[in-house]
Amino acid sequence: MDESRRSFLGGVAGAGAYALLGDAAAQDKPAATPAVPPAPPGTVDNAAIKAEKHASMQYHSERPLTGSVPAHQHDFDVTPNDRMFVRNNLLTPDINAAQHRLTVKGLVDKEVSFSLDELKKGFPAVTLQGMVECAGSGRSNYLPTASGTPWGQTGGMGCPKWTGVRVADVLKAAGLKSTAAHVAGQGGDPGMIATAAPVIRSVPLAKALDDQTLLAWEMNGAPLPKVHGYPLRLVVPGWVGSASTKWVHTLNVLDAPFKGTYMTSSYVTPKFQVEPGQKMPPDTVSTEAWPVKSMITFPAPNARVKGSERITVRGRAWVGQGSIDRVEISVDEGVSWQRAALGPRGDKYAWRTFTFDYQAPRFGYLTFLARAWDDRGNAQPMAAGWNPLGYFWNGVHRVGVMVEA
Amino acid sequence: MRLERGLACAALLLFGQAGLAQNPDKLTSGPGATLTENKCKICHELQHIRRTPLSRGEWADNLKNMRERGTPMSDEEMAVILDYLAAYYSRDPAPPAAPDTLAGTGGDPVGKLLDAHACSGCHTLDKRVVGPSFREVARRYAGDAGAAARLAAKIRAGGQGSWGQVPMPPAAGIADADLATLVGWVLQQK
Repeated sequence: MDESRRSFLGGVAGAGAYALLGDAAAQDKPAATPAVPPAPPGTVDNAAIKAEKHASMQYHSERPLTGSVPAHQHDFDVTPNDRMFVRNNLLTPDINAAQHRLTVKGLVDKEVSFSLDELKKGFPAVTLQGMVECAGSGRSNYLPTASGTPWGQTGGMGCPKWTGVRVADVLKAAGLKSTAAHVAGQGGDPGMIATAAPVIRSVPLAKALDDQTLLAWEMNGAPLPKVHGYPLRLVVPGWVGSASTKWVHTLNVLDAPFKGTYMTSSYVTPKFQVEPGQKMPPDTVSTEAWPVKSMITFPAPNARVKGSERITVRGRAWVGQGSIDRVEISVDEGVSWQRAALGPRGDKYAWRTFTFDYQAPRFGYLTFLARAWDDRGNAQPMAAGWNPLGYFWNGVHRVGVMVEA
Repeated sequence: MRLERGLACAALLLFGQAGLAQNPDKLTSGPGATLTENKCKICHELQHIRRTPLSRGEWADNLKNMRERGTPMSDEEMAVILDYLAAYYSRDPAPPAAPDTLAGTGGDPVGKLLDAHACSGCHTLDKRVVGPSFREVARRYAGDAGAAARLAAKIRAGGQGSWGQVPMPPAAGIADADLATLVGWVLQQK
């Protein structure tokens, strides 16, 4: 044991002779260092990011920065920038847009590179609304607790409008080789140390070529906020958020999924269900599209409502592939279900607003459960299947209110 | 049961901040706690550890993942950290806090200071980890009459740019005598 400790200290364990320099070592005071080291140059300070966020944003960690708003702060048809969740793997880079370039390489006929202006002038611009949701969104619902950012019951998602060009158009300009099968995005986010692995994720070619998959420079009509990928990001709507590479500078066309820690050790689920609380088995699958999900965005939890007035429950429902078929509400903890009214269908991977008009039959505490169905007959379960990294929670959301005189 | 609880309380008192969640810079005291703190704090807060007790297998996966993501950590260090996390941040009840017998000890004051002030997470005697080795530092300051004062100021205030872009956090709370001990030792490591 002594020998092994010696190696941790790189040989300094033999420094006992310097005890003569003072007895100070006996004091053993913990250093008054900050919980996280200062941000390196070329990165954006968390305080500047938070200044642009809504006061209801709950932060789960500073390094990397993670934060989201609770469900009742998502009561918008289009998620405003200040309520969009934040989930970095590394630090937030401060990028000079005028010098930023996007390079398309790998299995293409010719490697091409575009400035932001060249992208804007060279390809048709598209604006669409699309879901971006962290794979671990809702993780804190899992029992036992799963490893990772403890997103609240509904945290870690948003559905803004994005403006950019289609990845398909940009890939066509480079010319795809017949062996092209995956497209990997790489962003310019640096780690704290030089050895930090770059965050690289790839998506299958079919998803990259989806007409909703964008290289976006605007979010809700304004340049992307720095923390959301300024000046350019991928938007792969409906899929786990890590596919939507922020600060993207390279698209690498590959003949197979990219092999790297963010593909093989993170963002995977067990091929077969494991016992809760157990480690990841050897057989895993990459996380891709989100299963059907919904949340109640109005009323807020434990709101006081008058028994004499009708309550209009409002919420949002979405699914990463296919479409929302219906949303049902239960006021008896799932014994019976009634249809909610669906708002107009928007873009393919946008969430859909639902409403449910209800007259409470009695005073007292009343709970609403929302359950969405997709067009393939999948419904939200009461609880999602446990997995070691706590991904894809899509259990029904419950909100209780107090009905008073 | 009552005895166990009494022992746990006594241990908590003896080993200080250890079990108190309020200190963001500390984990429960136990063998390997200091090494764990110093390696993990290079990139993220200790809250990432504290918030989710895991099984040994899950911690092993986590450490493998962190090393893939760039944590400078030898196999031996990883083994110590895994034993520590699997004991103190387990899905099973944790043992009472105990002295970190693997951290620098009273008989090894420099090692103790290097651990206590998180220096050893990023620096070793002769190899570059995140920051320069102590020998590199000593060589750079060789023959410089003002070296001790400048190095002391840099340790206390933190620094960046002399050796690369990774900032060194300030050791603001270090006692003057401890600082003198460290500076004196570092400058002799040529």
